[in-house]
Amino acid sequence: MSGPIVEAHGLGKVFPMPAGPVVALDDVSLRIEPAEYVAIAGPSGCGKSTLLHLLGCVETPTSGTLALDGREVAALSDAERSRMRLSRIGFIFQRFFLLPMLTAWENVELPQSELGAAKPERRKRTAELLDYVGLANRADHKPSQLSGGEMQRVAIARALANRPKLLLADEPTGELDDASGEQIADLLDRVNGDGTTLVVVTHNAALAARAHRRLQMRSGKLA
Amino acid sequence: MSPAGLAWRYVRRQPARAALGVTGIAVVGALLFDMLLLSRGLVVSFRDILDTAGFDVRVTSTEAQPTLGPPLPQATRVAAAVAALPEVREVVPLRFGKAEVPVTDGSPLGINLYGSGTREGRGWPVIEGTGLTPRADGVLPVVINRRMARRLGIGPGSKVRLTGACASVSSAAPAIELEVLGIVSFPFDRAADLTAMTTLPAYVRICGGEDPEEADVLLVASKTGVSADATVAAIGGAVPGVYAFSNEQLLDRFQKTDFSYFRQISFVLSSITVFFAFLLVTTLLTVSVNQRFGELAVLRALGVRRRRIVASLLFESALLVGTGGLLALPLGGAMALWLDGILRQMPDIPQRLHFFVLDPRAVVMHVALIVLTAMLAAVYPAYLAARLPIAATLRREVVS
Repeated sequence: MSGPIVEAHGLGKVFPMPAGPVVALDDVSLRIEPAEYVAIAGPSGCGKSTLLHLLGCVETPTSGTLALDGREVAALSDAERSRMRLSRIGFIFQRFFLLPMLTAWENVELPQSELGAAKPERRKRTAELLDYVGLANRADHKPSQLSGGEMQRVAIARALANRPKLLLADEPTGELDDASGEQIADLLDRVNGDGTTLVVVTHNAALAARAHRRLQMRSGKLA
Repeated sequence: MSPAGLAWRYVRRQPARAALGVTGIAVVGALLFDMLLLSRGLVVSFRDILDTAGFDVRVTSTEAQPTLGPPLPQATRVAAAVAALPEVREVVPLRFGKAEVPVTDGSPLGINLYGSGTREGRGWPVIEGTGLTPRADGVLPVVINRRMARRLGIGPGSKVRLTGACASVSSAAPAIELEVLGIVSFPFDRAADLTAMTTLPAYVRICGGEDPEEADVLLVASKTGVSADATVAAIGGAVPGVYAFSNEQLLDRFQKTDFSYFRQISFVLSSITVFFAFLLVTTLLTVSVNQRFGELAVLRALGVRRRRIVASLLFESALLVGTGGLLALPLGGAMALWLDGILRQMPDIPQRLHFFVLDPRAVVMHVALIVLTAMLAAVYPAYLAARLPIAATLRREVVS
């Protein structure tokens, strides 16, 4: 049996500010098993997004240790962390952050291309993913030609492009109306059901309720 | 998607900005190209004029430029000594003077009069008729330039009467009749010059008081396969008291004196235009990078490596500068023609001398400077993109 996807001990993050240091995370320990669905909730500024950024290797902790898929993050170089993000972690953002000059197809193909996947393989995977998120007929559309819900579905397809073990979603329904938010929540359920570990940061109680485990944060600590 | 593909998409995303950038580079690049043409133009053009006559060495009495120093005494003896050297194919003594041509409808026309010791009639490109060759029948031959032929309405076979106006000639010098053999091109003619060249004996007769043994300069042609430097060395060794210099040495001397102003101006203006091109592209790319910090942070968050993002910016810079730089060539060429026309209207400029000459070295230098500018211009924006704090930028993008 494989080990945990995420194993964090005593994680801390302090931001130096002109008015004095701000403690964003304080002694957070966390273990997330493969295929688990974890929701992290809490008031604004409690450190949810900072924790997500640490788990996504886009931020480094000030203290504590973090292992992703068995690898100690602190020991990785910048290039290795990029490789880790590219091959094992998927990101979904509140504001989708699709590249506006690329089509839906190209946005989904981009991470595969960066990983060095061959063209036939990329084509097959991109077609599969756009079909998976229900947008096979919008492949040639640019983000400006898609609705918010469609953009988030393309972003999910992009996040899944390199078959990540860990999918991190930061307020994935925050910019959507209820109906679109419901569709995205269903899609995330499906992604998790297919075996991808999912960590969602959200204010949305209904979305959080779908998770296997709900964590509450307050003032940089897990409650 | 490759960094080049990504760069192309970024450029196409804002066509108006890209077009403005390319236009700016094209204009600045055209100025740069013109300055590069100017820096070498006079040298290339002057060399071309010197080489036209087929003489690669000049001999004078002093280090002064030909026509500016005193005449060479005993020129016949010196010319014979030089001609006897194994390196030398031909020696032509040359005199420079002035003459007048009577015209029916006004005061006499002043012309340049050259006396040439040529025996082969070669050295000055013939436009019509034949070159200058001594005649055995006692007729005094002359070749004239196109302007003089048109002004006087004469051509090969016509007779022309010349009165000497050389320094040594008295005002009562008789007019001498000469027969026009041909119309030739004199490389150092200015736009308004009327020029005639005759044989040395005829020149001495026209300029009555001149010393027949003097010459202003000896034009020397080396034998095939012999370098001008070797000929200069041979003359220096065999004929004491004269100064021999090759066309390259003469060019070098002009570069250090008369042409140096243009070279300095072109260097200063080239440096300024390169700096402006650098500023323009750096500003464009920096603004562009600042506007897409969020997208760059997302690319980094997705796992795109720093060097790929830097490469993409380099390609973007190369696309803008490369396109502008290529457009700069025809634009700069057209501007060079226009500026050359203006500069050549300056007085005392040989008609065949050009300030802007298309020189492969200038094109190569232009391309090299453009490539260097593109790379340097991308350094700062690439640094900004590479050092972007991913998480902080993503936070700012969500909050904004």
